[in-house]
Amino acid sequence: MITLPMPQPEVIESRDREAAATPDMEQEPLPLVIESKNLSMWYGSKRAIENVSLDIPARAVTAIIGPSGCGKSTFLRALNRMHELVPHARIEGSVLLDGENLYASDVDPAIVRRRVGMIFQKSNPFPTMSIGENVIIGLRLNGVRDRKFLNERLEKSLRMAALWDEVKDDLHKSGTSLSGGQQQRLCIARALAVEPEVILMDEPCSALDPIATAKIEELIQGLKAQYTIVIVTHNMQQAGRVSDFTAFFYMGRLIEIGSTTKIFTNPSQKQTEDYITGRFG
Amino acid sequence: MVTSKHILGTFDEALSSLRNDLLMMAGLAERSLDRAIKGLLERNDDLCANAIADDEEIDQLEKQIDKDGFEILLRYQPVASDLRRVISAMKLSPNIERVGDQATSIAKRARKLNRHPPLPEVQLIVPIQAHAMSMFKDSINAFVREDVELARAVVARDKQLDDMNRSANRQLTERMMQDRDQLRGYLNLILISRCLERVGDHATNIAEDAVYAAAAEDIRHQTLAVSA
Repeated sequence: MITLPMPQPEVIESRDREAAATPDMEQEPLPLVIESKNLSMWYGSKRAIENVSLDIPARAVTAIIGPSGCGKSTFLRALNRMHELVPHARIEGSVLLDGENLYASDVDPAIVRRRVGMIFQKSNPFPTMSIGENVIIGLRLNGVRDRKFLNERLEKSLRMAALWDEVKDDLHKSGTSLSGGQQQRLCIARALAVEPEVILMDEPCSALDPIATAKIEELIQGLKAQYTIVIVTHNMQQAGRVSDFTAFFYMGRLIEIGSTTKIFTNPSQKQTEDYITGRFG
Repeated sequence: MVTSKHILGTFDEALSSLRNDLLMMAGLAERSLDRAIKGLLERNDDLCANAIADDEEIDQLEKQIDKDGFEILLRYQPVASDLRRVISAMKLSPNIERVGDQATSIAKRARKLNRHPPLPEVQLIVPIQAHAMSMFKDSINAFVREDVELARAVVARDKQLDDMNRSANRQLTERMMQDRDQLRGYLNLILISRCLERVGDHATNIAEDAVYAAAAEDIRHQTLAVSA
């Protein structure tokens, strides 16, 4: 098990030499939201991740990086049982959310996915629904009918997703009428509407232009005050910009996790160094 | 240090070019310092002029290294050991440039001394120069070889250079009181000794950056940190 350190108190100070030289073990551990313990996963006979024990700290952004096929998206999906939608997927080990095993037999996967929301690579608003309906669909499916409550939650979610000002007069329009970046923020608003504890993001900016990417990154920074965020990204600069912690996966294994400053200035493992400096292969 | 190549060949070329410019700059600074001291000891104005001429090229290389470093940061966004090497190279070059400035200053004072009868006390400068020069060479070698132990040893040797400088100052000050006709000459020797002591300070800075580049450890101002 790898113990996570506290992030440095100030971003500027955290990127100085002292932070790079300070052993992580000397720092106070953060409260954890998710703990994966010896997690392995198979698609049929192929093992996609192997014995991953990784702690996700609360109200922080944890980035997962690694080459294609290293298991980072698989790991992400295992955190809200999304992989169960894939035929022949099977898992060993456990994932604890606030200390409760998500894979216990009495746990409803739908409840898990409400507590642990997910944003995908390609924005996926429901095409037949309006912007407003897209945001509150999760609540409706959970039986909420109170119009006033729904309207309040709609506005709150869109504001949190930094989309309210852009769409407040067009809530009745189709979600697909929005730009790609707006659609992705709409999906974030949809995830926020059910008030999850954790938000998983699987390459949320890979289909977006730099401006839309910057808006999502700004949004992530704002959201981490209230939510725990795990983001899978191929873009290491993005990991450097938005995350407090970075985990490096390779061939289904967790190679290293540490503060993002540490990983990007002085990683402990040669494989991590070779990957982030572009020497891999 | 042997490191594997980057997937992006142009990144390797840019890093290599930065390193070569730095090595050339250090080589020129070393030559300039050597010429300035020889110009002093051999009373040779031509060597002094050569030392001063080297400084122009050293200054240009400092600008080139800044330009190369900025471009690498901009184009390749280096991280980890690459980032430390680029940042350290950019911090090294002003120190090397100042070693060049010290050489120029020594050469100019040597020319002034050469216009007057020789002073036997010029020999006081020889061990100080040897110590300062070896610190400078070792600091560069420590950076190039990523030799943390050598770098730490350079830092430790600075105190001895300070002591040597103080001792020379004392002796030269005494001579100034005894032989007031050579006041300017002794003063120039004191200032030359001071220049060499500054070379040691720059070598120390370089060595500290060499430790950071190699081991990501900041060893600057450790005495202050302990007493604070």
